[in-house]
Amino acid sequence: MLKKRFVGVITVRNGWVVQSFGYRRYLPIGHPAVVAENLDRWGVDEILVLAIDRSAKGLGPDVELLNALGTLSLSTPVTYGGGIRTVEQASMVVQAGAERVCVDTALHGDPGALREISLHIGSQALVASLPLGMESGEMQWYNHVTKTQRAANGALARIFEDGLISEALVIDWQHEGTRNGFELDLLRRFPVTGVPLIAFGGLSETAQIDEALRMPQLVAVGVGNFLNYAEHSVQRYKERLSTGVLRRPEYQGLTI
Amino acid sequence: MTKLTVGIVDYGVGNHNSVHHTLNYLGLRCRVSDDHMILKTCDLLLLPGVGAFRPAMQALEGKGLDRFLAEQVARQKPILGICLGMQLLGKSSSENGRTVGLGLIPGDVVPLGIGCWHIGWNTATLLKADPLFELAHNWDFYFNHSYAYQAMDEFVVCTTSFGDKRFASVVRAGKVAGIQFHPEKSQRAGHALLRSVVEGLCDA
Repeated sequence: MLKKRFVGVITVRNGWVVQSFGYRRYLPIGHPAVVAENLDRWGVDEILVLAIDRSAKGLGPDVELLNALGTLSLSTPVTYGGGIRTVEQASMVVQAGAERVCVDTALHGDPGALREISLHIGSQALVASLPLGMESGEMQWYNHVTKTQRAANGALARIFEDGLISEALVIDWQHEGTRNGFELDLLRRFPVTGVPLIAFGGLSETAQIDEALRMPQLVAVGVGNFLNYAEHSVQRYKERLSTGVLRRPEYQGLTI
Repeated sequence: MTKLTVGIVDYGVGNHNSVHHTLNYLGLRCRVSDDHMILKTCDLLLLPGVGAFRPAMQALEGKGLDRFLAEQVARQKPILGICLGMQLLGKSSSENGRTVGLGLIPGDVVPLGIGCWHIGWNTATLLKADPLFELAHNWDFYFNHSYAYQAMDEFVVCTTSFGDKRFASVVRAGKVAGIQFHPEKSQRAGHALLRSVVEGLCDA
């Protein structure tokens, strides 16, 4: 059986891992390599690196960061997002060692570029990052560069209609960094059926994560800074979660 | 045992860093090259791969690596394909139109379904006794693909189930083997398996 994934999210700003609150307040945590090494050692199912300032600053992807992670010989699949707008940039990210590529700002721009990226690296390697929120009962899609939002319904359907993107990362951007803050309606009312969803932003308590994992459309949950304060936090989460849909916790050093 | 050298076949598609680092971590020497003379000196040839079948095949042909690999198989050189590298071992793929593959293990590469991606950790089930792959049995490995190898039963070592589908996750014909998942990204089970397979194929 294909397992649902427990994803460790590393949010990077100015080259440093930060705890991000609602896309506006940031607390420094440490060096990305240290956090990535911990997640790898704790047997997280996937590492998602989000370099959140690259697009707004027009910097392109953080290849230096990916190269630094490359030297760690991580044995966990890595997905990278941040600053990718062109096929050349996406290709550079894959060359630098990421299995998959996450685009966010590029989704608001030229659909031709998105198609080109997908055809080049494959749709299985392309994830759409979607900061979403509920406003007066309607789902809104946030653009963090222009700091504007628009109705999600029609716009999201267009992104997924060609099968160019394999998964959607649903970010509750307003509740990011808030304990138990994730708005489950973003998953329940996601306007496009059939698109596998990854939930992230304020997921911290096991009851809520369990509830998300029970939804058929959900394939992965992302937990960020809540993993940084205890040794073996990934395994502890997995042991406390009651759903049998995840891969069993992995402890390094045990022989097979 | 003397230190084995793995020749990573560099045909210009995808990234070799992960598999290279992992092999080094396992104590194996690596050469990354498209040069036939260099690859000939290696104990095992590893065919990595990420991306689509057709450009990968065209890149191999452009460097004469398709004929070279067939010659090496005839000379009993062990060959291991990973992910797309496994699929390239087949006779053909229907990804974006039919493309002829290396034809080293009978089988064709077909889509898992329309708009169907198999992404994440899934279990390998061993179908027959094979000492090289026996530790894969009932372990989870990391997959990322939307096409799969449809091989004749005699060449299928492990299968994996996905929804109502079951596909070959490991194929082997003598000294040529292919793995659909990414052992280099499958933590300790993947590393243990990679070591077993590289050493086992060289010994076989």
